[in-house]
Amino acid sequence: MPLSNYPYIKKVADFLFVKFPYFATVIDKRYEEFGEAWLAEFNEELKVFFGDDLPRLQSAVNGYGSFALDSMKLQKKFDKMREYIPKEYADVSHDVYLNRDYMFNLYLPGIMLSQYLWSHHYRQLHYFRHTFVEMLKERSADCFCDVGVGTGFYSKEMLRALPVIRGRGYDISPFSLEHTRIMIDKWQFLGRYEFCQADILLETPKDQADCLVCVEVLEHLDDPVSFLKALYVLLRPGGIGFITAAINGPNADHIYLYRGLGDLEREVASAGFEILQSVEYLGYIPKPGDSVPSSGVCIVRKRS
Amino acid sequence: MTEQEVIDRLAPIFHDIFNPDVVVTEDLDATKVPEWDSLNHISLIVAIEGEFQCELITEEVAQIQNVGDLIKLLRVKTSKLTGFQEENP
Repeated sequence: MPLSNYPYIKKVADFLFVKFPYFATVIDKRYEEFGEAWLAEFNEELKVFFGDDLPRLQSAVNGYGSFALDSMKLQKKFDKMREYIPKEYADVSHDVYLNRDYMFNLYLPGIMLSQYLWSHHYRQLHYFRHTFVEMLKERSADCFCDVGVGTGFYSKEMLRALPVIRGRGYDISPFSLEHTRIMIDKWQFLGRYEFCQADILLETPKDQADCLVCVEVLEHLDDPVSFLKALYVLLRPGGIGFITAAINGPNADHIYLYRGLGDLEREVASAGFEILQSVEYLGYIPKPGDSVPSSGVCIVRKRS
Repeated sequence: MTEQEVIDRLAPIFHDIFNPDVVVTEDLDATKVPEWDSLNHISLIVAIEGEFQCELITEEVAQIQNVGDLIKLLRVKTSKLTGFQEENP
């Protein structure tokens, strides 16, 4: 594998090999699966966000390693119970979203690097770039909202793909918004983006957007359908959205279990959305009898 | 529990998850066993938790670099379970 041409990925590989050698093969696997284009994209991502700040990159890799270990241990427990460990949103909010150390040292770097290192996350990203964004280019879209921005990754993708669009990002976590600000700034898109710390369930914003993005938020909620209805209000008539959820994918802050794409589709439709396309991506080929996490994706439209 | 006792209990787990020819020594790590990938690593951790009746939290698992680290951790964990202090852990 020609990592000499991709120095930032080489650094990730070196850090993984030292600290988490059992994860080190992930780069080879993704390269075999997705090829040179994946290497080029991932290297560019790392170069822009981390630059020559090796300690920060190493810290992010360490965070990813712990995040991945956590997820996989929970997956093993899920294999036996086929239920998420019961928890309340308020507890998760306290333990995760309002915990700066956890967010910056493990959660956010883990999620960010997983966009390229986890097969189903990268496939979802590819679908976003080559299907959803292409649909947007055929429509008139001046502004988008990203609800539950997390690392800011998908907001960055929107701003990157559509040079004129403006965006608004919502999240309940000040640390997610802080990370998103860093992300948007690194990519030099600050002039086209607003940051809003808000829970749209408590107060749905009045300004509608031409399109919306909501990636892996629903599984964090007690009541995803109410949230989806709030998203519906946020989207202008005729606008389209990209809504995803984790399926059979336990995590420290996953509360609501989607067992299949059908569960997600039913809830999205119940909120009023028309589903234009939907797809599910599996994380890996599981051993017989084991569960496997997957990503469910719906491209939706609000009827005119 | 002595180091050798821990190794004797780990060996069948390693043989089952990786391959029967793996020789379990303190310096054994994931770089030396081709089958030791992420999925098998988690299977290993879960099997060890079952065998030794203890939980290995993520922070502890993240610090394990080789079997020697694992042995030290398990000796501490099992001494807490039995209530006896290990001599020379």
